[in-house]
Amino acid sequence: MNHPPSETLSRRRFLKDGLWTVSLAAAGAAAAALASRSRAKEWVWQIDPYKCIGCGRCATHCVLSESAVKCVHAFEMCGYCDLCTGYFHPDPKALQTGAEHQLCPTGAIRRRFIEEPYFEFTIDESRCIGCGKCVVGCAAFGNGSLFLQIRHDRCQNCNECAIGRVCPSGAIVRVPASAPYLLKVRNP
Amino acid sequence: MRQRSYKQAAKVEGGLIAVLLALTAFGAGFLAYWFVDRRFIRQDVPQAFRYSMEELTAIEPFLLIYRQIRPPIETGLQTAVALDVDSEGAVWAAGDQKILRFAADGRKDTEISLSSKPTAVKAADGVLYVALTDRIEIYSSSGQRVSAWAPVRTALLTSIAVGPEDVFAADALNKVIHRFDKQGNSRGLLGAKDSQRGIEGFVVPSPYFDVLIGRDGLLRATNPGRQRVEAYTFDGHLEWHWGIPSVKLEGFSGCCNPIALAQLPDGTFVTGEKGLVRVKVYDDQGRLLGVVAGPQQLGWKGPIRVCETPEECGSRGLDVAADGQGRIYVLEQVRNTILIFEKNE
Amino acid sequence: MGLILSAAAVQAAERFPPPQFETDYQMPTLTTPPPRAAVWEFVDVGVLAAALGLASWLTLRKRSRRGIAALSVFSLLYFGFWRQGCICSVGSLGNVVLSLFDSSYVLPLTAAAFFLLPIFFTLFFGRVFCGSVCPLGAIQDWVVFRPLSVPAWLETTLRLGAWLYLAAAVLFAAVGAGLLICRYDPFVAFFRLGFNTPLWLLGLLFLGVGVFIARPYCRFVCPYGLLLRQAGRLSFWHVRITPDECIQCRLCEDACPFGAIQPPTAPWPESMRPAERRRLVFLFGLLLVLMSLGGWLGYRVHAGLAAAHPTAELARQVRLRQAGLIAEPTDALRAFDVSGRTLQSLWTQEADVFRRFAWGGLLAGVFVGFVAGVKLIQMSIHFKRTDYEADRAGCLACGRCFAFCPRHRIWETGKPTDSGETS
Repeated sequence: MNHPPSETLSRRRFLKDGLWTVSLAAAGAAAAALASRSRAKEWVWQIDPYKCIGCGRCATHCVLSESAVKCVHAFEMCGYCDLCTGYFHPDPKALQTGAEHQLCPTGAIRRRFIEEPYFEFTIDESRCIGCGKCVVGCAAFGNGSLFLQIRHDRCQNCNECAIGRVCPSGAIVRVPASAPYLLKVRNP
Repeated sequence: MRQRSYKQAAKVEGGLIAVLLALTAFGAGFLAYWFVDRRFIRQDVPQAFRYSMEELTAIEPFLLIYRQIRPPIETGLQTAVALDVDSEGAVWAAGDQKILRFAADGRKDTEISLSSKPTAVKAADGVLYVALTDRIEIYSSSGQRVSAWAPVRTALLTSIAVGPEDVFAADALNKVIHRFDKQGNSRGLLGAKDSQRGIEGFVVPSPYFDVLIGRDGLLRATNPGRQRVEAYTFDGHLEWHWGIPSVKLEGFSGCCNPIALAQLPDGTFVTGEKGLVRVKVYDDQGRLLGVVAGPQQLGWKGPIRVCETPEECGSRGLDVAADGQGRIYVLEQVRNTILIFEKNE
Repeated sequence: MGLILSAAAVQAAERFPPPQFETDYQMPTLTTPPPRAAVWEFVDVGVLAAALGLASWLTLRKRSRRGIAALSVFSLLYFGFWRQGCICSVGSLGNVVLSLFDSSYVLPLTAAAFFLLPIFFTLFFGRVFCGSVCPLGAIQDWVVFRPLSVPAWLETTLRLGAWLYLAAAVLFAAVGAGLLICRYDPFVAFFRLGFNTPLWLLGLLFLGVGVFIARPYCRFVCPYGLLLRQAGRLSFWHVRITPDECIQCRLCEDACPFGAIQPPTAPWPESMRPAERRRLVFLFGLLLVLMSLGGWLGYRVHAGLAAAHPTAELARQVRLRQAGLIAEPTDALRAFDVSGRTLQSLWTQEADVFRRFAWGGLLAGVFVGFVAGVKLIQMSIHFKRTDYEADRAGCLACGRCFAFCPRHRIWETGKPTDSGETS
């Protein structure tokens, strides 16, 4: 079934080839423009600890069943208080490690006696769900040494952070992957 | 691979329309549910994850025995740190790198520039004692520097008390009180941990540590980490202490309160607390006499702040002072304003 | 006395230091596990490029449905379950738009590559990305059990939804209200094996529909697919049902579950020409009307759309509270209260958001109106076709039609064809 190349067909062919070349050139130009605007720089999500209000959505809205957000402790800011308001209820019956005195819904904070009158508080990350209850307690009365961070060994780095979408204070921001944490005290 | 033709499928166009309609309805219902559910109805966060202080902020009106008498003084400072009232009733406020004087009517009439950030201010002996982190400088009330004492090595002086022959400065870093003579020579330390003298020592987890000289001639110092006020002789003997840890009104709330202390002309004490911000009046044995202002009066908005910069979130406590007429001045460090209270009739 | 504290430490941070311990307590340091090493991003780009190359070869040279299916399983496993659906070319559209409108967001090279590579390959080889590489396509491709044929008019009408979605996705990304495509990615919940009820339902919905209407997301939703459709129209090489020549056997007529096989057309009678011309003039007029209508509609709904922006939503809540309609403050209101922000600054920001949505809504509406008008024109233009051909725009390069073509079977067995000299 050979068609003799009619004039219309070849005109169409010519048009089409021209259009193809033009669009390829356009795509190339767009590619060049995009490439010049882009960098070999990746972004990751992080919580700005000074904007976080500890609403609890980090525990409930992460795409992971166990949130990528965990509480971290800037020991350099901690007062090592006996009555730690990040550890105890606002009005604890006793300063003991019993669950009924603790603020954390999963008992993820460990309290350890150092020396009179100081206690160390560390986060058991395997238990922490990132709800930020202790963060609020610590910030309310204390120095704010407990705060939430997205842990990058867990974070899937979604293109749109599911927590960021519902964060009431816009605390979840993009940061360069080369400096992936927003710590209250910079690590040495 | 078995070849399946899609020809017969084309005949069930009616079925296709039905499937499509059902799906559209399902999809619309689903999306509507999703939208409504997420945005408006369900409070997504379980109560167990939430730290709530709201119920603690209300104070029975009959306990509020003070009222605000004037509009607050806007200090205009970025970071107001401390205040004091001089014998003329003028208010001195320290912050940024300056000291401001507000006349009794609230107008700013003097501004003293400092070489660094002030950490405490005390008007006494007709002059102004100003602590600048680790050292004390003395200024005349017109703003001339009269003298500058040698700095204390690595200290953070957060309060100054001036007696007839002594000057005391509370050091939040080393958790001790420095005693000087009026020329600035060291005369020793008070309040260091000493089991033989029964002194447990100060616990100061944040840069709030207040000291004053009571009308009975004894030194009073806050011990915020132990939620109490302690009375010392000038020689450093702990005489007694008062205060209990509690979020209830009679106690001092949280990890580290009270953070500020002042004495009224009748010998009772004004205490200031951060966190659950409260200013209260106690007698010398720690009996609660009444509340000057609670969270609602002091503009408390919530337990945690949202800041553009870390510095903004830095200071968020208060300082208190009292004048000869029994008026109470509260420097509120979030908004950098001075609130003035007077006892109800 | 414990006056042994480095002055530098105090001065440096202006942070109140922890207590000076008398015991030899060692303060723990905070661990900071790093994100995935950057090299893996380049591995992803490499895998994408390799997969696209292999897909082109399998589709155009090898003509192997089996190979295409195998590659799509690999893509599903790698880009879907292993990389958990991020990064993907479909979602990268949002990143590209965001980088154009938000100066603080620099487009990562990987996002640029994921956006551009499939478009380039489509310009050369047709939509091989859709057929073999896209994990969203692959997962749907495996549930095509009872495909119903969708009439062309319905197909075209439903596709208008995708154009609307594209316009909305670009608008939202441009005004900083989020990346819609990623937010409503229906299969990402499967890929992550995470639990998110609405997303699971959405995914199941699409798979359920996909049993009867093949690849519904690709055909009626996917905004990136629309870009590839246009690139596909221009594709230099593309899927051919027959390896050499069409013998008009009509066996492939119903081979495509996506309705992308176009039958030959009969020439239009000469007498139709004037009517056709009049209709074209009318349709061009209609195009302008549709564009104006779309723009007007887009402008009308911009306030509603703006509610999706957190700033506008916060401002709305503040107003409701001022009117006494919100008793218990929401968390957004709480956050606003504990920030030092003034109402004035909020109103300013809100006005800015509304302004951007107004312009964006207008332009998006004009765009959708334009698309609708062009579709009408397209449908009434007569294209001349003599063979059964894959529709370059609609063909998803899945290779199902190959096996229906008797010429392919002969070609496959390697026997010389009787019309070999024409190929």
